[in-house]
Amino acid sequence: MTDIEMVVAYIRPDSLGAVKQAVAEAGAPSITVSNVSGRGSQPAKKGQWRGEEYTVDLHQKTKVECVVADVDGHDVADAIREAAHTGDPGDGKIFILPVDDAIQVRTGKTGPEAV
Amino acid sequence: MTFLQVDPSVVAEGVNLLWVMVATFLVFFMHAGFGMLESGQVRSKNVANQLTKNVLTWGVGVLAYFVVGVGISAVVAGVTSGSGVSLASAYAYYTGGSTAWASILFGAAFSMVAASIVSGAVAERAQLRGYLLFTVLVGALIYPVATGLTWGGGFLATLGFQDFAGAAVVHMTGGVCGLVAAYIVGPRVDKFNDDGSPNVIPGHSLPYAILGTLILAFGWYGFNVGTAVNVFQVTDAGELALADYAYAGRVAINTALVMATGSIGAAAVSVLRSGKVDSLMTANGLLAGLVSVCSIAAVASWPATLVVGFIAGVQVVLVFDLLEKFGIDDVCAVFPVHGSAGALSALAYPFVNTTSAFSISQLGIQAVGVVVLALWAAAITFAIYGLLKALGWARVSAEHEREGLDSSEHGIVTYPEFGDNSVGSAGRTTSTTAADGSGVADDD
Repeated sequence: MTDIEMVVAYIRPDSLGAVKQAVAEAGAPSITVSNVSGRGSQPAKKGQWRGEEYTVDLHQKTKVECVVADVDGHDVADAIREAAHTGDPGDGKIFILPVDDAIQVRTGKTGPEAV
Repeated sequence: MTFLQVDPSVVAEGVNLLWVMVATFLVFFMHAGFGMLESGQVRSKNVANQLTKNVLTWGVGVLAYFVVGVGISAVVAGVTSGSGVSLASAYAYYTGGSTAWASILFGAAFSMVAASIVSGAVAERAQLRGYLLFTVLVGALIYPVATGLTWGGGFLATLGFQDFAGAAVVHMTGGVCGLVAAYIVGPRVDKFNDDGSPNVIPGHSLPYAILGTLILAFGWYGFNVGTAVNVFQVTDAGELALADYAYAGRVAINTALVMATGSIGAAAVSVLRSGKVDSLMTANGLLAGLVSVCSIAAVASWPATLVVGFIAGVQVVLVFDLLEKFGIDDVCAVFPVHGSAGALSALAYPFVNTTSAFSISQLGIQAVGVVVLALWAAAITFAIYGLLKALGWARVSAEHEREGLDSSEHGIVTYPEFGDNSVGSAGRTTSTTAADGSGVADDD
């Protein structure tokens, strides 16, 4: 077990810009971002197709993955939370996971050095 | 015309040919509109299938119309009018020559508008081969019988049935074919719950649907104004005079204005219902307006056209609801847009005709025409698609339908960037239907 951590955050797509800047300022500029959809505490909304309404309870979210070795994952998570916070249901969730190992593809380095 | 040594009949024929070709090409372009309108209303897993059907509708349909259908139309006209016809004269157009062929191409473009309507009704589950066989029969038989009875001079023409650009002949015929085909093919998987309540299955691209709508509207100028087909005529005194172009401006302004109230009518209903203007419904209303002007464009006043168009726009919403109540899955709303709006137009004719006063007898004739054409389209579609269903050619398997027709029927992934479809990936082989009771069955 190394002291590598992975911070996974599910945030509002429109908070991504602020989150990118915040994690960079927290010393963790390397991130992976993907478009995801999910259901949480945000209430379902109404969609409409040819005048007929339907329920959309999977909301568009942005998933941010950030692996850190020499920065505390909780500091990164705090930075994300501050940047992504609006106070309304649907702001998202952040998880901090331990990472077994890391390998850099280009150099073959392993462990914290590879992060 | 004395200052030039010109034969006025040559000028008339040349200009008339030029106009019929321009109009034909505009009507042909409506296929681009149908392609975009329909592919936008299907899910991303069925786009290539829908577009393939649109391309092959022309591919097999125009061939069937030219080789068989034109003659069938003449035979039907001759037989039902009592004037008689020989097979040789019905098919004399094989060697008809350049000018005759231009006129036949104009008719062929119309025939394929009728054929193209059907694919939108049976989208996302109809088998390609069954659909193509049906399209061949639209071109060779169904549509030619409709024109033979009417424009060709057959039974309904002798009655005095009026349908200027084909609200009933083209649109209602196609719309009824689509309705019956959709009924026999059955609804898409997940469209209706066990208790019969409908689920909403949103299409994948509103921009395509709206682009298709406006391309159709553009082509419609050729469809309607082109039906005022002769620009010039040569008078008995040997002078050039306007022929159908004497009223072409009326057709053009009515065609333009009817889009206004058609779209406003549908938009108004959507606002009343949900408080929002629904984009697709508004676009459907615009098209229903265009259908509703086809019978009357040459004779209606522009205020009367506005009224008919508004009714057409409103009825789109109501008729579509009715179809869902009956468990019919008309994916692209082709019956409300083409079928019922087409009947409306033909029936409105005696009410809005500025060239003669309203008469009950003309209304009766229009009703007979609508009923005969609708019954013909319904009965023959029932027979053909019933047979296709018995053969197992009507629709794809439930597995293929869930996977999407692009992948299962064509081996194509229309939008590889949307899914796990890159080279070397394992791909996504199982469908991910959300069982969350949200009433949405989308593939994204």
